[in-house]
Amino acid sequence: MTLRVITDGTYSEPVQQALERVLADKVAAGDIGPTLRVWYRDAPAVPIGRFQSYEDEVATDYVERHDIDVVRRATGGGAMYVEPGAVLTYSLYLPPEDVPDDVADSYVYLDQWAIDALQAVGIDASYEPLNDIVHADGKLGGAAQLRTDGAVLHHTTMSYDLDIERMLRVLRIGEEKLSDKAVASAEKRVAVMTDHTDASRATIVDALVAAIGDTFETRRGSLSAATREAARTLAAEQFDTAAWTRKL
Amino acid sequence: MAQHGTVKVPDGKLVSVSLTANDRITSVRVTGDFFLEPPEARPHLERAIEGHPVDVDAATLREAIADVDARLIGFEARDLAAATMEAIA
Repeated sequence: MTLRVITDGTYSEPVQQALERVLADKVAAGDIGPTLRVWYRDAPAVPIGRFQSYEDEVATDYVERHDIDVVRRATGGGAMYVEPGAVLTYSLYLPPEDVPDDVADSYVYLDQWAIDALQAVGIDASYEPLNDIVHADGKLGGAAQLRTDGAVLHHTTMSYDLDIERMLRVLRIGEEKLSDKAVASAEKRVAVMTDHTDASRATIVDALVAAIGDTFETRRGSLSAATREAARTLAAEQFDTAAWTRKL
Repeated sequence: MAQHGTVKVPDGKLVSVSLTANDRITSVRVTGDFFLEPPEARPHLERAIEGHPVDVDAATLREAIADVDARLIGFEARDLAAATMEAIA
């Protein structure tokens, strides 16, 4: 397959999450081919997993007081705190035939090139099934997937230089995890790339693009105006609404 | 009043159940950081738990959950049954 690589475009969190759905649906419809998108955010935000409880995961008073966007994703998995320039997020939108059918295998397959890129800039990262990218110091990031009839969406977020103290104010950690000391300490152990590399975020994006080019045929591209407009519409109708984000 | 149960799957995900338990289990809500394909199957898991008597056994719950046509990722039917048992205990 030839992968279209998109590394431009800054969007709000609801539009980012709406783009995921729009682009996966365009792959399913055959309107676009396999695509990689690197994200640029415009504000701090909390993407929560599709099946998570808003009240259980988010320090609601804190995010409301600080006007932090909370957005329920189309994908399962856990809540994250993200800040522009302090995290790296990328998405893959692929036809199912390009993805291993076994879910655990597919997570490794779709992130291995990124681990190669981190290794190339001196960060000793590895994969921890099902969906975590880890360093000896802790968790660097995680991935989540949505499989529809005609597409696989796989997106991954990693901490470049995240404010961990702020993250712990924004997110509630599940009581069950706190009651299990081993798990609680693991949850709190978040690794950031800047502890292990002098590379700038832009350098790491370049390393990611180079690494995906070593794994797949690639060509550069951009989102069409129609795609951006469709995402804005879907954000207004769904991802930017309390009815969606606070439904659980 | 809603009752809660939560299971942390070893090397897996967190699965939480809230429900109302009088004679029978009602108003079930299943949440957590798990994956589910298709995602629209989450209410079907809830319907599979609802209606059982409050003295239901774990195996009956597990079988009812396993009958739902969905792929559970990061947890199994027995984990959701265990979280339900904790909620009704």
